[in-house]
This record gives sequence, C-alpha cells and structure tokens, in this order.
Amino acid sequence: MIEWFHPGLIYIFGALLIPVLRGRLKKAYLLLLPIMAFINLLLMSSGVFSSEGKKWSLSFLGYDLFLGQIDTLSIVFAYIFVIASFCMMLYAIHIKEDGQHVAAYLYVGSTLGVVFAGDLFTLFFFWEVMAWSSLFLIWYRRKKVAYQAGFRYILVHFFGGACLLGGILLHLQTTGSIAFETFHWGWELSRNNLASTLILLAFLINAAVPPLHAWLTDAYPEATVTGAVFLTAFTTKSAIYVLIRGFPGVELLIWLGAIMAVYGVVFAVLENDIRRLLAYHIISQVGYMISGVGMGVMGTAAGEMGINGAVAHAFCHILYKALLFMGAGAVIEVTGRSKLTELGGLYKYMPITFHLYMVGAYSISGFPLFNGFVSKTIVVQASAMWHLPMIWLMLEGASIGTFLHTGLKLPWGTWFAREKPVCQAKEPPKNMLAAMGITAFLCTLLGVYPKILYNLLPYPVHYEPYTFSHVVTMCQLLLFTFAAFWLLRRMLHGEPTITLDTDWFYRIAGNGVTWFCEKPLMTFANFIDRNVMSMAGFFVWFSRNPVVALNIKKEEVKLIGKKLFTSPERVEEYGRGLEEERRRYPGELPRLTSGASVFLILLSLSLYLILYLLMVF
Amino acid sequence: MKHLFWILYGCLFLSMVAGFFVHLFLHPHIHFFWEALPIFSAIYGFIGCIVIIIGSKALGYHWLQREEDYYEKHERIRSEDK
Repeated sequence: MIEWFHPGLIYIFGALLIPVLRGRLKKAYLLLLPIMAFINLLLMSSGVFSSEGKKWSLSFLGYDLFLGQIDTLSIVFAYIFVIASFCMMLYAIHIKEDGQHVAAYLYVGSTLGVVFAGDLFTLFFFWEVMAWSSLFLIWYRRKKVAYQAGFRYILVHFFGGACLLGGILLHLQTTGSIAFETFHWGWELSRNNLASTLILLAFLINAAVPPLHAWLTDAYPEATVTGAVFLTAFTTKSAIYVLIRGFPGVELLIWLGAIMAVYGVVFAVLENDIRRLLAYHIISQVGYMISGVGMGVMGTAAGEMGINGAVAHAFCHILYKALLFMGAGAVIEVTGRSKLTELGGLYKYMPITFHLYMVGAYSISGFPLFNGFVSKTIVVQASAMWHLPMIWLMLEGASIGTFLHTGLKLPWGTWFAREKPVCQAKEPPKNMLAAMGITAFLCTLLGVYPKILYNLLPYPVHYEPYTFSHVVTMCQLLLFTFAAFWLLRRMLHGEPTITLDTDWFYRIAGNGVTWFCEKPLMTFANFIDRNVMSMAGFFVWFSRNPVVALNIKKEEVKLIGKKLFTSPERVEEYGRGLEEERRRYPGELPRLTSGASVFLILLSLSLYLILYLLMVF
Repeated sequence: MKHLFWILYGCLFLSMVAGFFVHLFLHPHIHFFWEALPIFSAIYGFIGCIVIIIGSKALGYHWLQREEDYYEKHERIRSEDK
C-alpha cells in the first residue's frame, strides 16, 4: 500500500493525459491537477500520509532513493509552487497548443521532485528534467531569437548539471553517502571540499548569481508570454531551497546575495525591454534570499531569522513576480510590443491590467500592506541582527532601485509617458485577468495577514513587521524615491539599446575561441602536418636504396663546398652530374641470393631470441 | 494634476514628521548609528535613487550600452568570414 503519493507525480503523470482531452474538459482538467496536488499537500501536512521526517523510498543500484523527504522546509516550498502553478495555468489556459501545457506541468512536477528529494541521485534526476522541460517554454515562442536564446539557456544548464553530477559522485566517493544533507564547505583544498564546491556551483548557476546569471536575463524575455510566467518561479526558487538545505550559513553567500541585489538594480536602469527589466529584478530579489541563506547559521536566533527571511521572501516573490510578468505579458500579448521605446499611453485601453500590475509593483517594492513588506524586511532585519552595516545598506539601496524600476519607470513608460497611446490595445483575455486578480489578491492577503505565511515558516518567527517605526521608515524611503524619480524622470526614458552582460563572454568571446580554433590553431596544425609528412617522405625515399641515397647526400654536401671554392662552370658541371644521379635513383637494386636472404632472416630472429632471453632472465 | 503635487509634498512632509515622532516617543531599537537620525531613510531614499540613476546611466553610456543589433552584427560578420 502506498502511504504517500508524490505531488510532483500528479503533475508528471497528469501531463500525459493533456493531449487526449479536448475543449472545456481539458481546461477543467488542467486546473484540476494543481487542486489535486494542493489537497494532497494538505493531507500530507496534517499528518495523514506522513509524519515529520517520514520518507518514501525506492531501491536503485544498491542505493536507497528517497523520493519524499517531508519537513517544514520542503512543505512550505511545495505549497507555494502548487499555488503558483494554479494561477499560472489559469493565465495560460487559453493556449491551444498542448505541448506548452505538457512542458509547463513537467517543469512544475520536476521542481516538486527536487523539493522532496531526500538523496542526491533523485535531486540530480529531477534537476535535469527541470532544465529541459523549461527549455520548451522558451522554444514554443517559435522565433529565431528564442531558439538561439534557448540553446544558450540549455547549454548553461547542462554545464550546471555536469557540475552537480561531478560533485555528487565525488561526494559519494569521499563520504560514501548520497543523503541530501548539509554539505561541509570551506576554503581549504581537499577532495571533499571540491565535491561541495562543484555542487555549490551548480546551485549558484540555477540561482542566477552573477557572473553566472546571464542565462536568465537572456532567455526569460524570449520565452512565450505564458511560459515566461512559469519560468520566473521554479528554477531560481528551487535553487534557493537546495541552498538552504545544503549550504546554510555560508558567509560567502551573504556577500554574493547583496551584490546580486544591487547588480540587478543597476542593469534594470539601462534596460529597454519590459520583461528583461523584470528579469533583472528577479536577480535582485533572489539576492535577498541568497543573503538570507548566507546568514542562516544553524542554532542562532539571527540565523533562524535569515532562513525564515529567505523562505518567506521566496514565497512572496513567486507571487508578485508572477503577477508582474503576467502584467507585462498581457501588454505584449495585445500589442505585440515589448520595448519601452515602442510603448506608452496605454492606460486608456488597459486600466485593469495596469492596476493589477501595480499591486505586484507595490509588493515587490515592499509597500506596507503588500507581501514584499512582510518578507523582505525579515532579511534586512537579520542583517541588522548580525551587525553587517554594508549588507544592510546594500539591501536597503536595492529596495530603492526596485521601486524605481518596477514601480515607477516600467509602468510610467508603458501606460503613461505619452499624451496619445502608441497603438490600439485592449484588455487581455478574461482568464489572464482572472489569474492576475487571484495573484494580486494573494499578494495583498499575505501583506495584510502575514501570520498565514509566518506559521508556515521552518522556524518560529520572532518578528513583527507592522511596528510604527518599520512602517514610517519604509514610507520615507519609498516616498523620497518617488520624489527623486519625478525630478529625474526625463533621464529614465527607454533607449533603443541593449546592455552587455556576462553572456558577452560566450556570445562574442566564445566566437573568438572558435575563430582561434579555425584560424591560428588550424594554421599551426597544418604546419606540423606538412613537416611531419615531408620527413616521412624523405625516409621512404632514403630507404629505397640507402647506399646510393647516402652517396647523393654526400655529393650534395660536396657541391655546397665547391660553390664556395671553385669556378661557377665546374660547379654547374658537377651539379648536372648530381642531377643525373638523382634521376637514376634508386637505380639497380642489389639482388640477394635466396641463401643470403634466409641467413639474414635467421640472424634477425636469433637477435630477437637473445633479446627475449635477456629480458626473461 | 496640481493638487496631486500638494498631496505628494504633504506626504513627504508627514513622513518626516512621523520619523521624528517615532524617535521622540517610541525609542525604537537601533542597530546602526545612522538609524539615530529620524529622517535617515528619507535622505537615503532620495540620494540613493539619484545615485542609482546617474551611476547606472554613466556605466551604460561609457561601457555597457550597445546598439540593438550588436549581437546580430557580430553573427553576420562571422558568417561572412566562413
């Protein structure tokens, strides 16, 4: 009897039925799957199928694979992934192409597989399924740029997957265990540390930590309108989950996270494509979570605060970022335009989309009463508890930039900025608006009743977001950001440019590598090849008749001597003689009698015998 | 439009007053020395925003921003090379 059913398998096996169904039945079925998974999760957490720490195991190659490791950490991530998948599927339900739905549900299912993985092999398996199923959400855009970006996306993820597998195998070799537990990581040189480093590298690639982040901002904006909404949630947030499991309290992560938070903001200023701007803000927001993971030293109050902050922020981020991408996607869906330079004045046609988008914008900026406020501030508070002034300033500074771009620049440039609308537009299909409405409701609900979220977190929460001081501080920060934006708003018009990022290294410098292989390396190889071949040719020529050949070479040396000491006529005559000799080469070969041949063969064989005997004794 | 601005100015002013109020009457726990300044967040928000805009734009103009067909152009040059 199965005592627990994996919620990820509901999606993965459920996806197989999608192409069979038609019409309304299919739509109902698509929405039913997340609901079933959600009910499954509710039963799990109430203890019907599992108690804390209970595992669902399977035997494979002599190892016990744990497909279901359930604890407070995995359950909270599973909840948000399932809730988000419902909203996202509602947003995408009008899509006729079955393949897109299948890819999306494989992606969601495999992410849940990662979340419940109790061992490293299971983790690796679902990790890879996640990479290639998400690729189809990009390729279904069916544009040349999307194909190319998709290829770059999958190559980076294959590299990450290879690092993960290498790390897992090394880890298995050094520790003999495949359990997915906290890894030991430090700065020392040892084989076990190399294993941990490789695994950490793979996690950091999926979490889009600069300089390994360019796959995200390169590929997400090229995905389909509905596919991009799915992409925003799963890959980066499952990476946060595995980082919390594997590398809590690694100090390096605090700094990487804070740098990420600022990095995304700086690049978002320069961005013209609305979805790419939002993608840079994924990096910025994931920075807060990474920083929180880094602060999460086990067994300390500030550490628990850091982990709680990372989890809470991942939870909230999935909701508001999906909402923001839904809003931007709606604009692209109805206008076919995605650049700020080609947008503006759309408020007249799309007021509902605008207002729903703004709920996401208030949430990401951390306005009181929206969910960003109740989660982001936990991480900032944790940095204060650790007394990290620089980190605190960087994280607060990133909040300013977040509001500036997603809350001011993007909506201003898309819905206002011009007197007249740039083109005809209308509100998007009803299902899209409904999905945005539900997501917006959830963002506000968590902002108003943070207890719902706090009760789900892995550690007890000793933090009250709605103190007078917190609210006033945040209001000051955001209001004065608005004032500065208004002063400088003319500087923030979109510009028809692209921004170089670290993908430059594999798009341009990578071309340099292929050029190096094709040109200088090839010339060098040809040079070596020519010389070796001519030397071989010489030996073939020489061995035809070594006696005469030696004679010819001797004469050649003599000729050089004569050139120096005798008259040109004699040299010419001598040269003609040499030429004649070369022409006649190899000439009459000396013939051996059969007796002599047999003697020579026997001689060589006896030499071999002597050599053999010498070797043996 | 005009009255909206008065509302904005009012809000800016109120938030600063509220900052002083918090510091005088509620004595919040302070982690860093700058938090002792009641209007620190206002100053940080205003200056931070200007620094982010100008700093990023400078970085973009002098280094990172390229014309939109930058990568396509490189690809074309490469395919012509072959």
